[in-house]
Amino acid sequence: MGMRKVAVVGAGMTKFVRRAQETGKELSWEAVRMALDSCEMTIDNIEAVCMGTAPDAFDGLHMKAEYLSDGAGAWLKPYMRSYVGGGTGIFAPIQGWYHVASGLFDTCLVVCEEKMSSFYPHAQAAFLTIFDHTTERALKPNLLWIFALEMNRYMHTYGVRKEDIARVSVLHKRNAADHPCALLGEPDITVEDVLNSEVLAWPVQRYDVSPVSDGAVAIILAAEHVARRITDKPVWIEGVGWCLDTAYWTNRDLCYPRYVEVAARMAYEMAGITEPRKQIDIAEPYDPFDYKALHHLEGLQLADRGQAVQLYIDGTAARTGNMPVCPSGGLLGVGNPIAAAGLMKIAELFWQLRGEAGARQVPGNPRRGVAQAWGDLMQVGTVVVMGR
Amino acid sequence: MTLLERDPNAPVSWKGTLPVTSRYTFGLAGERFFRAIKDEGRILGTRCPECDITYVPATLFCEQCMAELTEWVDAGEIGEVHTYTLLFEDMDGNRLSQPEIIAFVRLGDGGLVHRLGEVEPDELYIGMNVEPVFKPAAERTGSILDILYFRPVD
Repeated sequence: MGMRKVAVVGAGMTKFVRRAQETGKELSWEAVRMALDSCEMTIDNIEAVCMGTAPDAFDGLHMKAEYLSDGAGAWLKPYMRSYVGGGTGIFAPIQGWYHVASGLFDTCLVVCEEKMSSFYPHAQAAFLTIFDHTTERALKPNLLWIFALEMNRYMHTYGVRKEDIARVSVLHKRNAADHPCALLGEPDITVEDVLNSEVLAWPVQRYDVSPVSDGAVAIILAAEHVARRITDKPVWIEGVGWCLDTAYWTNRDLCYPRYVEVAARMAYEMAGITEPRKQIDIAEPYDPFDYKALHHLEGLQLADRGQAVQLYIDGTAARTGNMPVCPSGGLLGVGNPIAAAGLMKIAELFWQLRGEAGARQVPGNPRRGVAQAWGDLMQVGTVVVMGR
Repeated sequence: MTLLERDPNAPVSWKGTLPVTSRYTFGLAGERFFRAIKDEGRILGTRCPECDITYVPATLFCEQCMAELTEWVDAGEIGEVHTYTLLFEDMDGNRLSQPEIIAFVRLGDGGLVHRLGEVEPDELYIGMNVEPVFKPAAERTGSILDILYFRPVD
C-alpha cells in the first residue's frame, strides 16, 4: 500500500475521576507530559498533534479542541481534531497513524481528553438532543433507553441470561482494581452485586453501566526509523479500520454490530490476520455497558454470534485466560471519559505488549492485541490492531 | 409582504432548544491566580525560565516547552495598554450613551482583556500605563470582575 510502518513509542494517562479540579487543558498537559517523559522525548521532537475529544457540550466550550490545544502541546504545530463520538478514542490514533504512515510526519502526538463533569446536572443531558427532532425527541429519549432496548433484543435473540452478562461487569471492575488510574476498581464485586444494583431502564442496571468521568490520555507515534532510535520495544500499529452504519438506529441489526465487523475486517486484512481468535492475544473491546463488550467481541470475530459470554463463563476472558478481555478494567472499571477512554485501550495494549502493565500484566508475553471503540449515533466502529 | 410577515409557503415548523448548563472549575493554576485576586488584590503570573516567558494569567505549564511551571511571580501593579477599542453599541445593537473602552492590558508576556475607566476616549493612547482597580475586598468572589477596570497611572 506504500504506507510506512508506525509504532507507538510512549504513553501517558491521568487518573480517571468523577470530578477533576484540573481544567481540560491541565488534564491534557498532564497526559502529554507523562507520554513525553515515558520515552524521553521533548515537545520539540513532535511534528504534529492529533486531538480527539467528544461533544463540545461536555466541557461547556464550543471549539473545545482548539481551546485545549496549548495543553495538548500543539503550539505552532500542525494540529487537527477528530470526532466520531464514542469511537473517537480509537479514531484519533488512526488519524495519527495516517499522519505518519503517509510520510507527511515522522512523529505525531495523539491526545484525547474529556471533562464530562462540567455538564450540569449530568453529562447524559448532552445526549438528549442527538435524537431526531421530529420522530423521537417528543418522547424525551435518552441513551439508556436505546441501550436497554438493544440489550433486551440481544438477550432475547440469543437466549443470553442477565446473570451471565453481569460477569462482564464483574471481570472488568475486578481487573480495574489493579489499575492505578481507575475510578471504579472493585476487587470483591460479585454477580449478585450487579444484579442487586439499582434498575435504571430494564434490563440495564447501575453496575451494567460505566461511569461518566474526567481524564486524558496521550500516546506518541513514530515512523519506523525514528521509533527504533527512541525505543527497543516499539509496539507497531499493524492494522486500522473504521466504518459507519446507517444513521437511523432502527435500521440497524440490534443484535449484531456490523459496523464493528466491517471495521475489524479492514484492520485484520491490513495486519495480515486471517484467524483472529488464534492470532489475537488480548482484546480491549469497547465496554460502556457490559452487554456491549459481548456485542463487540462478536463483531470483532472473536466469538460466534450470541456466544461471547462463554469467554467469560469458561475463563478465556480472564487476565490469565487464553484471550484476556479488557485486562485494563475497561470503561466499566477504569472509567469512561469518552475519547480518553478509547485511547486508554490503546495505551493498555502498548503497556501489555511491552510487558509494562504491572499488576495488570497478562502472562505469556502477549504479542498482539486489538482495541475497538464505538460511537457517533451508535453507528461507528473503530478498530486498531497492535503488535510487537 | 412586510419584513415581519412570515413566508406563507414556509414549511410548518416548531421550536426546540439545545439546553446546556455548565459548571467550570478554576483549574490548579486558576485556583491560585483567582485566590490572589480575591484575597490580596494581586495579579500573578508563572515563569518559564527555560523559555524566558512570564504567563499572565498564570498557567500550570509552558505551552512552548510543556514544562511544569512552579515559579510564581507578581505580575506587577502597572500594565501597558497594548491595544484598545471603543464600543458604541451594546449586544443588541442599541446605541450606548457613552462608548465603553475595552483594552488588552499587557502584563508580563501575557495580559488581560478588561475595561478601562477614569479616562476619556480622547485621552487614550497605545502604550498608556494603567493599573487595576479592585472591588472592595469584602465584595470579591474570585472572579475576573473582582477587577472593576484598569485606570491610567498618574
